[in-house]
Amino acid sequence: MFGQVLWWTEIAMEALLVARAIGAKFYTKYTLFYFYLSSVLLLELFRFAVFTNLPISYPLFYWRTQFLAATVGYAVMLEMYAQALRKCRGAVRVANALLLCILAPVMLKVVAGAVSGSGWPTGETMATLERDMRALQAALLLVIIALLAYYKIPTGRNLMGIIVGYGCYVAASVVTLGFGSLPGFGPRPAWRFVQPIAYLATLSIWCFTLWSYHPNPEPAPESKIERDYKLLSDQTRRILSKARSYLKMGGQL
Amino acid sequence: MSQLLPYLFLGLLLFAVLAWWVWDTIVHRAAAEVLAPHRSRVKSVASHRDLGERIFGPEDWDFVSRETSWEIHRMFQRERTVLAISWLRRTRLQVSQVMRAHLAVAQKSEDLKLTTEIRLAMSYLLFLVLCNSLIGWIRLLGPVRARKIVGQTLQWAAQLRGAFEQLMARVDPESCGVVGPNFNRGTVRS
Repeated sequence: MFGQVLWWTEIAMEALLVARAIGAKFYTKYTLFYFYLSSVLLLELFRFAVFTNLPISYPLFYWRTQFLAATVGYAVMLEMYAQALRKCRGAVRVANALLLCILAPVMLKVVAGAVSGSGWPTGETMATLERDMRALQAALLLVIIALLAYYKIPTGRNLMGIIVGYGCYVAASVVTLGFGSLPGFGPRPAWRFVQPIAYLATLSIWCFTLWSYHPNPEPAPESKIERDYKLLSDQTRRILSKARSYLKMGGQL
Repeated sequence: MSQLLPYLFLGLLLFAVLAWWVWDTIVHRAAAEVLAPHRSRVKSVASHRDLGERIFGPEDWDFVSRETSWEIHRMFQRERTVLAISWLRRTRLQVSQVMRAHLAVAQKSEDLKLTTEIRLAMSYLLFLVLCNSLIGWIRLLGPVRARKIVGQTLQWAAQLRGAFEQLMARVDPESCGVVGPNFNRGTVRS
């Protein structure tokens, strides 16, 4: 019963979010994010139809569609990346390098798995496959947040809501799917509700932060110094090395 | 069970980083302030070195050690330790401002170099470690015995102030005072 209530509440909130974005005409401002939300909403409705009409096929259908939902979740990552770093060309270069560092080993692992004929080496079940996908999303989210914090990139209410909401859901999914794959944890009814409750919390955050359109604050207008990165980086490096050398010298006296 | 620990760690790390980022964004929303410091702040930076010289100068200690009792010596040392640590903290803040100004500019720079950024980040991290170590050292030995070290740091602070003012003058010439070409002339008495 509790599961049904959660299910219906999630569907209602997703529909509300999509309807609100269309009504207030900011659906196109976050196309990828609302594509994800609409896809998940459709999936939920399909699942409900299968659950009602073909209950025996439901578990298999659930895991197949859950894999799809996790894949579509990368659209949210792309939305965050595009929104956060759109006007920060320097930070984009750092982000590209860092993302490559994360994605290259994953791609190598997939290729190695494909060559050896086992596909995803850790993907023995759909749950472990989803867990690994969520773990990769968590790593990508950490990179995006690290860049936002390090470069002090201004974020609006909408973007912050998307990042915090999805981040909470991904973090909860990584932990619950990890522990859910243990024999003692998975079948426990209380444990199975953790992920839906986390998703409900995510939807609540999105309802609160995406109720109206709040664009990202514009960065400060360009000053003369911004045109010469080399000058700036040399100057900062000189200051830091001076500071360090004097402190080191001091420590030796 | 042990193979699940990385997932648990990753999940908890993401939760912690999210919480910290939200807090940091809300508390330090005025990041642009770093790029446009008020004139009063630059003035306070200018008087900062003089204050440091007064705190760490030998004159006060020479007088106290010559003219007063042992109890007063101890009191003086305690008071000066607090002042010295406070001064070092402000020095750390100045360098942080330089670094933040750099980051605010670098985020939009088209020719940003990843290796340079990593080197700068490491350099800044090392500076923070050294500065904190110095604070610990003064806390242990007291400012009188650490006077020579502080003398060197004062000299550096004078150079840092000049570089900082020059940087700020480039970023926002209107709000900063004019910085002469011979800004790097801080004298230190140790």
